[in-house]
Amino acid sequence: MREAMPAKRHGGLRQPWGTITAFLLPALTVYAAFTAYPAFRTLWNSFHKVLPRREEFIGLANYTELLQDEIFWRAVRNTITWACISPLVEVTVALLLALALYARIPGARFFRIAWFTPVLMSYIVVGILWVWIYNYDWGPINVALRALGLGGLARAWLGDPDTALPALIFITSWMWVGFNMVVLLAALHSLPKEVIEAAELDNCGWGAKLVFVVLPLVRATLLNLVVLSFIGKMKIFDLVWITTKGGPLWATETVSTYVYKRAFEWTTFDLGYPSTIATLWFVIVLGAVLALTRAFRLREKLEY
Amino acid sequence: MLAFLARLTLAVVGLSVLTGPTHAQQKELTLWTHWAAEQIKRDYVEAAIREFETKNPAIKIKPTWYEKTALYAALKTALRAGQAPDLFYAEPDQVEYMENGFLLDLSDLNWAAIEPWAKQAWTYKGKPYGFPLEAWTVELYYNRKMMEELGVAVPAALQLTPDAFLDLVKKAKAKGWTPMALGVGDRPFPGAHLTHEALLKKLGTEDYDKLLKGKLAWTDPRVVDTLKYVRSLTAAGLLPATFTSLKLGEAHTYFHTNPRALMFLNGSWYTSRAFNAPDKGGQPVDFALGIMKFPNVPGAACADCRTIAVGGSYVGNADTKHKKEVIAFLNSFATVEKGNEWLAKVQVQSGIKSDPAKLTGKAADYFKMIAATNAGATYYFGIPIQVMQGKPKEVFTQIINNAFPAGSIGVEDAAKQLQAAAN
Amino acid sequence: MAVRHALVLIVLSLYTAFAAGPFVWAAMMSLRTTTEITADHFALPDPLHWEKFPQAWFTSNYQIYFTNSLQVVLAAVAILTVVGAMAAHCFARYRFRLNRIFYFVIFSTIIFPPQITIISLFQILVQYGLYNSLVGLTFVYVAIQLPLTIYILESFFARIPADLFDAARIDGYSDWEIFWRVSLPIALPAVATTVILNFILLWNEFLYAVVLITEEEKRTLPLGIQRFMGDQLEDVGMIATGLMIAVIPVIAVYAFFSEKLIQGMTAGAVK
Repeated sequence: MREAMPAKRHGGLRQPWGTITAFLLPALTVYAAFTAYPAFRTLWNSFHKVLPRREEFIGLANYTELLQDEIFWRAVRNTITWACISPLVEVTVALLLALALYARIPGARFFRIAWFTPVLMSYIVVGILWVWIYNYDWGPINVALRALGLGGLARAWLGDPDTALPALIFITSWMWVGFNMVVLLAALHSLPKEVIEAAELDNCGWGAKLVFVVLPLVRATLLNLVVLSFIGKMKIFDLVWITTKGGPLWATETVSTYVYKRAFEWTTFDLGYPSTIATLWFVIVLGAVLALTRAFRLREKLEY
Repeated sequence: MLAFLARLTLAVVGLSVLTGPTHAQQKELTLWTHWAAEQIKRDYVEAAIREFETKNPAIKIKPTWYEKTALYAALKTALRAGQAPDLFYAEPDQVEYMENGFLLDLSDLNWAAIEPWAKQAWTYKGKPYGFPLEAWTVELYYNRKMMEELGVAVPAALQLTPDAFLDLVKKAKAKGWTPMALGVGDRPFPGAHLTHEALLKKLGTEDYDKLLKGKLAWTDPRVVDTLKYVRSLTAAGLLPATFTSLKLGEAHTYFHTNPRALMFLNGSWYTSRAFNAPDKGGQPVDFALGIMKFPNVPGAACADCRTIAVGGSYVGNADTKHKKEVIAFLNSFATVEKGNEWLAKVQVQSGIKSDPAKLTGKAADYFKMIAATNAGATYYFGIPIQVMQGKPKEVFTQIINNAFPAGSIGVEDAAKQLQAAAN
Repeated sequence: MAVRHALVLIVLSLYTAFAAGPFVWAAMMSLRTTTEITADHFALPDPLHWEKFPQAWFTSNYQIYFTNSLQVVLAAVAILTVVGAMAAHCFARYRFRLNRIFYFVIFSTIIFPPQITIISLFQILVQYGLYNSLVGLTFVYVAIQLPLTIYILESFFARIPADLFDAARIDGYSDWEIFWRVSLPIALPAVATTVILNFILLWNEFLYAVVLITEEEKRTLPLGIQRFMGDQLEDVGMIATGLMIAVIPVIAVYAFFSEKLIQGMTAGAVK
């Protein structure tokens, strides 16, 4: 993906440490104070009971409790489901839309702006809006269903354990398709025109052109978007918090909401246990991202 | 090393932090309180603050009004951070405040003016920590006109039999009405009232207490029978389709204004919203309110058992720099006079001693009804989430408040999961 | 061909309605009173109740939330831009032993779930008196956006030809001047991207704010909206007005800079 950069880097023989330090120090300080130190402190917390006025070393007790914590595993399942479905939906739909737009539709600029609006709104705003959209009595979805004579399908979308998680996943897809599409569009536009024109001259069918010419060319972008979306969903908190708070029956509990609840909402003041969740989750996310990049690399090797 | 580095930078950074203007006033007590949306209670507290400030010009009380969830979230972090206000709103279920030594010992309060059971609710390891302003019972409200239209007469004893109640639900449903307005969109307890009142009657106070404290199994046949009865009610269409998302405030208007429901199961603080002006979410002027007892359940051990709870209370911050002033302020409430004023204005019971006989007008009528449904009652103190802690509480809330009344979990499964969490 | 075009256009229009519909709906409700909305949730606003905007602004502390958000976000973005650009420039231009290690360590933070820092950040800020302070929140915001900023800028700086720097050096520019007068101006499009991106992301940030801020006077806009929603209960019309106030600045920023943003962002993601 990256061009051979070191060659382009200014390759002086000396290492001007003074200058380097001056340039890096502010960033490294912020990083050490507000990212690295807290991360290590969380790890340290995870072996302790951390109460407001006392801390107590309890070894692996938090970890053994966590392994048997059904709510936690439920949250892990929900989050991973979300993080696996979302990227596929978002990137696929976005790619189709981008291809359609690439065909030089009039008013492309307007479409591009309209499709981007959902990303600009915060999850808080989006959450409130969609609570209304899913409203049982007057939400547009149920209103439309009833108007179509499908009133039987109308339901409290966020209140039913069967539909709550899919309903939330749908919201994130609605939000992010536009973003993915705009990025893909730019990628398509940056492709050498000759390649696509050549494919057209060859009288290649639309589908064949897509699979054999376009897809391989934008693959790097696609993968970036998939990973980006995946990471975003592994973190998800705001949307759940403003809509369902993890309910009903933990159907939408994510790891983020569970950590928050255990740290700041449950009737314990203990920060050790939520730190344990955070630590274990960190390991899981790290593993997943590594596996994901590795899988992509592997395919890269296979194909070339 | 990293820690040191962080400390170092933060110390440097700390120097540049602009500290806010230092408080010029001599003594300002900060008060964080719930009831942002409950104008009547707000008026009462604000009046009391003004009164106190006139009598004590050297002290100023600065209240901040919150919605309950926001207040609790803010307090949890602020207390830990040592930045909590001098006074704040709490309810006696928040044992963790006392366990962690966050609350001011209120032994010096004028307890003579407080109901002993209310003091008891706030007593932890022998010391009292909260000033119990509000007390409440779970009441079954109904719309008199609709009940007449249905042709059902509420018996003189005010309590329907299990079958008669089920029948009532079915009749109302057949008419196209929602039998009972109830919603759990923003509270962890309204849906649970249905089941816990039934369980309390079925088991009696002693066994019910055991159940909540994990000493009686949720799979006990009596418990399962009761769950089945409650399920028969919800299966007959007792609750609105919007049950899971309906907020507490919305449930009120659902009951008395639009679209109207036959009944409403709620704390006796119903008044704090319903007695507002109609355009502020209050009930219509011509609304005919009735109250009956919670129906009996099949094979009840104690048909007259019911819940009374201490609700909104004020507590002091253990770290406050103005202990004397905090107690002085709370003591300004702790009089029978103030108790009566609470009753008259807010129209909810109080932990302060008071005399409903002195009331006049609308409030008098309301308290007569409350007195009638409470005649001969045996009380259990506190709703389940005030008694339970940790995981059992979380599971109870998810299931009994939410999923079970919503019908998304079966009786056996619910009992099993609750039992698993209790162990 | 024409038929296919028309078909595509229809599909696109439908999708556009779907993507922008909720926003338009909320915008309509923001100009209607709750009584009007209850009567018909989907009617056009008539008359237009513009007075609801000042009402939400003045009676609900929106003024405070808005100013707080503006302070925190602008300060964080300014610091981020300078600090991030300095680091990115250094990573791109100087070859030294720890270069790639530092870069990788910072960059890999992008995948950190926020929980790994949030609980202890709470403890740490309390310890240093930066809890419940806008200054503390600003620093945290700088920290959470730093990896992405450095990543975007570094990849841009790295593409500036080295000859340019050599020429500048021969002209007698110091290291700092090279950064300030050569690197930054050339990288302006990328800098603009990070500024806009950071602005939008931080303007909408909720999780850190909800943990690190408790006082009413220090709430940022997302916390304010949440609070506002609790207070207003079922006053849908007023909430819609509140939402619009929060969304409009972001939409404005985007409308002005959309080209730049998309350019820079795609430059980062495409490659």
